[in-house]
Amino acid sequence: MKITLQRIVAAAALLASGAAMAQAKPVCGLNNGKAASGEPIALGAVVGKTGPDDFSASALASQAYFKCVNANGGINGRPVELTIVDDQWNPEVAAQAAAKLVKDRKVLAMVGSSSFVECGVNAKLYAQEDVMVIAGVGVPRECFFAKNYVPVNAGPRVSATVVAMYAAQAYKAKKMVCVIPNIPSLGNWACDGAKDWGKANGVDVDVLAIDPGSPDATSTMLQAAAKKPDAIILNVPKGIMVPMLAAAEQQGLAKKIHFVSSTPAYNFDVPKAIGAAWNGNFDIHLEFMPVESAGADNLNWKATMEAFGSKSDPRDSFAQAGYLAARIVTEALLKMDPKKIDRASVSAALRNVKGFKSDILCRQFYVGDGARHNANSSGPISQVSGNGFKQVSNGCLMAADPELSDLREQEKKFGL
Amino acid sequence: MPDLLPFLISGLGVGAVYALSGVGLVVLYRSSGVLNFAFGALGAVAAYVAWSALDHDWPLALAALAAVVTSVAISLTYGRLLAPRLAERESTVRSIGTLGLALVVLGFTEWFWGEQPRRLVLPTDAGAIEFADVRLTYTRVLGLAAAVSMMAAVGLLLARTRIGLAMRALADQRALSSILGIRVLQVDTAAWVISGAFAGVCGLLLANIVRLQATVLTFLVIPAFAAAIIGRLSSLPVTVAAGLIIGMLEAVAVLVPGLAPFRSATPFVIALLAIVLWRDASRKA
Repeated sequence: MKITLQRIVAAAALLASGAAMAQAKPVCGLNNGKAASGEPIALGAVVGKTGPDDFSASALASQAYFKCVNANGGINGRPVELTIVDDQWNPEVAAQAAAKLVKDRKVLAMVGSSSFVECGVNAKLYAQEDVMVIAGVGVPRECFFAKNYVPVNAGPRVSATVVAMYAAQAYKAKKMVCVIPNIPSLGNWACDGAKDWGKANGVDVDVLAIDPGSPDATSTMLQAAAKKPDAIILNVPKGIMVPMLAAAEQQGLAKKIHFVSSTPAYNFDVPKAIGAAWNGNFDIHLEFMPVESAGADNLNWKATMEAFGSKSDPRDSFAQAGYLAARIVTEALLKMDPKKIDRASVSAALRNVKGFKSDILCRQFYVGDGARHNANSSGPISQVSGNGFKQVSNGCLMAADPELSDLREQEKKFGL
Repeated sequence: MPDLLPFLISGLGVGAVYALSGVGLVVLYRSSGVLNFAFGALGAVAAYVAWSALDHDWPLALAALAAVVTSVAISLTYGRLLAPRLAERESTVRSIGTLGLALVVLGFTEWFWGEQPRRLVLPTDAGAIEFADVRLTYTRVLGLAAAVSMMAAVGLLLARTRIGLAMRALADQRALSSILGIRVLQVDTAAWVISGAFAGVCGLLLANIVRLQATVLTFLVIPAFAAAIIGRLSSLPVTVAAGLIIGMLEAVAVLVPGLAPFRSATPFVIALLAIVLWRDASRKA
């Protein structure tokens, strides 16, 4: 009872503190200011740090949150120990990393993982060993089609679908081209949500699979433009997107066609890199609320990073995802009897998560015991504005992708 | 049947820089017997230097100069300090040595500048010649003009000048040339300086036309190799023509269903075909 009361007080403090929280102490866990000293609870994370891109920000944010939890009573007295392993974007290393964490270190759950390769490689192991993964960011299809893998983000398919819906709504676009790199486990799947939504709504969405290694962005843009679309959806990493926008600008397409993008374009280096031609002329779907938003939980995330993260830890949407993953797990663990915490009970507690609230998310988050997970399927739209972004959508849009129908059924059952 | 012309014109810009890079590779090969795998990496570091200089509001001319000076300095340092230690080894070993340089330079560039997205904008991007509904920016026209003029200039240098003759002699018989009184170090210096300068200029153009990304620029040496191989590592006009054709075919490949998602393989396919079709000639090269 005492524990429940403490949690209610902590949650009330979190909700009430509002904008002042950016400067205030972060609120986390039991929030009692007492360092946890009991038997540690082992958790793990697999991230793609070294390789084509650094995906470690989410696990670093999870770690910052757990440090805050440990300094504030831990999990009813027990500290959390998060071990982060780099899979180097290498499937073999990813398999070794998961085996090391699950079999050797015997972690109770995985939290804040973000990897391009591990879903396909490790999903089976996590299911066999009954380890739940509350991941930060998932990208390939396998991350959203696994029983034990629960990404907090929306993923590229939802992102492209939502931005296509926005282009239809805001610009009356009736014909679109969705550009996607021909990468295994991503490919057409990530654009097919927009295509399937289009079919059901009288919008023609063509999918253009491109060679991400080709140096010639101009021909790709010319090919997309040759289909005479009202909007072009870029569903590509930022490294490929910047030259595509440059090519589109050089070919005079920026003024003729509306360009929109999935979340990878939401990076504060992008507006400067793409230049003035795209100012007020490039719309992006965000999988979370903007990093600059003034919501209490978003400010608490920033305060947590300030107090417990390192200065070099990114404060981006990956970090928002990792923070949320850590919060979801912490809240589930706090409901458990600290003496009866083992892998099976933790997995059951995590599957029982529903109605998780944060102003970083558009809707309540849930896990459930379904065969797959994609609880985050909405988000706002921001537009490039000067050297930053401004939100242009009125609130959030929810992806009307027919592939999500099984999850919508589940949400109905949960009353969401 | 889709209209090919816009894609052929679009490919001409990239092809021009493949051609220019190919000339840069052939000039070092013909003057020192080294196939320079670090050509792309030197271009990449030069492009990043230019970007940083422009970001600090340096005038374009000074930024471009800083870029080329950087690539020349690295090329010269390698050519004077490390390359002579491999001078007595066969051509393959001397070429593989530059692969080490490429990896070191690539590693440094990625570490120093990171993966943050950047764009190298040149004033020549603003203007363009419009042809078949495609805007061929002046940067691309500049690349094309540079490829043709450098081909002519290097051709003349190798064929008609004393230092060109010395370069060719050194590439064929280093020891003998030295005995005959050719100033080996001086000629080596000239060859590595020219190669470094080519790499710097190509890096600037490619970073603008293709993208400013260290890995991509480093490995763009491969299509240039394809052009140089088709030119049998000796003919400059054939290398230039091959570079242009590779660029154009790669652009047209975007229209071929099934092939479009793999079109970056175009230079390799063309180089392989060239090796098979002109096997004897290639062997000679």
